[in-house]
Amino acid sequence: MAEFALADVLVEMADTLVDEFDVIDFLHVLTERCVQLLEVSAAGIVLTDQRETLQLVAASSERTRLLELFQVQTNQGPCVECFNTGRPISVADLRSACRWPQFTAASAEAGFRSVHALPMRLRTEVIGALNLFGVQAGALGEEKLRAAKSLADVATIGLLQQRAIRHRDTLTEQLQTALNSRVLIEQAKGVLAERLRIDPDQAFNLLRAGARSHNRRLSELAQAIVNGTEQLPEKVRRAG
Amino acid sequence: MSTARRMRLWGLVVERASGGPVTVEHACTVAIAATGADGAAVAVVLGASSRETLYAGDGIAADVEDLTTTLGEGPGADALGGGPALAPDLATAQSLARWPAFAPAAVELGVRAIFALPLQVGAIRLGVLDLYRVDPGELDHEQLIDALLLADTVCALLLDAYGREAPPAYGREPESAGLQHPEVHQATGMVSVQLGLTVAMALVRLRAYAYAHDRRLHDVARDVVARRLRFDPDRDCGAHA
Repeated sequence: MAEFALADVLVEMADTLVDEFDVIDFLHVLTERCVQLLEVSAAGIVLTDQRETLQLVAASSERTRLLELFQVQTNQGPCVECFNTGRPISVADLRSACRWPQFTAASAEAGFRSVHALPMRLRTEVIGALNLFGVQAGALGEEKLRAAKSLADVATIGLLQQRAIRHRDTLTEQLQTALNSRVLIEQAKGVLAERLRIDPDQAFNLLRAGARSHNRRLSELAQAIVNGTEQLPEKVRRAG
Repeated sequence: MSTARRMRLWGLVVERASGGPVTVEHACTVAIAATGADGAAVAVVLGASSRETLYAGDGIAADVEDLTTTLGEGPGADALGGGPALAPDLATAQSLARWPAFAPAAVELGVRAIFALPLQVGAIRLGVLDLYRVDPGELDHEQLIDALLLADTVCALLLDAYGREAPPAYGREPESAGLQHPEVHQATGMVSVQLGLTVAMALVRLRAYAYAHDRRLHDVARDVVARRLRFDPDRDCGAHA
């Protein structure tokens, strides 16, 4: 992994942190960059719902199977442990990990051999985790681990940036808003999937392409689609 | 996942109902005790032409709701369109800047802190749970968890109140409205198209179907997403496999 590549991603993410950015879209792009930069197979971001459960808010792929695996991860596994301890957890070979039978079985079924979890920290509080899956066994390596930590920090900054300047003590507001945006996007995926007779993961890609081509925030477009006030443009639909 | 805490709080709500149907009032009473609040109110927007007070535990709570509706500002107004609005002290300059008309008027009523929690599921905006205190002070970590969990309960109670099919047993916790199962929200979107309804009513119907067939909501949702189950507007029973 070249040093300049990490710098490029950091610059790209910083550029995104402008006034009207969409937090879910931001986190989604970040997970995609994790996959490219860290040479892992999949990446996801889970956040605390402040009700003692972790929730997936963004993943590098919206494949249902992967989403389900992340969901298992929110109950038991390295991610929960990372969140609870505030420390990175790395499992180089899942075949020799017997602490989380349910998680290990689900990972193997999805074809993964290694998993790494990096805490997302805000001062003393852990608010979530960046989760990386590999199809090969192996540790992440010193350099990539450092890069992964930086990317987890960028995710935290993105999450808090949204309205942090306006009010103090807004962690709860930010987290809950991000979690609700994710629910909204799932609803919009369902609306599109039914209208266009496609899978929910294809619907996500369409939604994102639609937001991009119209320079709209992902959650705004999702809201308009759910309300029925807006359809996706024909060219985006055909592209899907 | 249904945590031990969620179950414990639900137990307290059921206890308040003393064998009768569980209502928003019971959940609010538990919320007051759990969060050290002095009062609570629930305002709704779904099915109402504008913001309407559904429940106010006392006169002050009712006045706070009136104020929010009349002025169109305050934590209870902010929480309707976004995340929670937590105001641990309405007498600070910061609160005054955020709610120039509401903050001084609320202080005048004797209210110093308001914690407004949105009752929402993605695009579905049901209303707001407002908790108030006469003394300033933040919700501590434990109180915040309880407040959010009880807001989930109020959300579920409101959704089920719109359905024809009530939860089968009053002792059973209503299906949580949270993020845990993405399929539930995808299915909500799909059913809204199938039935030509709003997502709110689609979720109400999904929940009612799950109760009527004594199945878990996410199992029903999974069938919808896998297209093993469709909701049909022409059928009275609502759905067919």
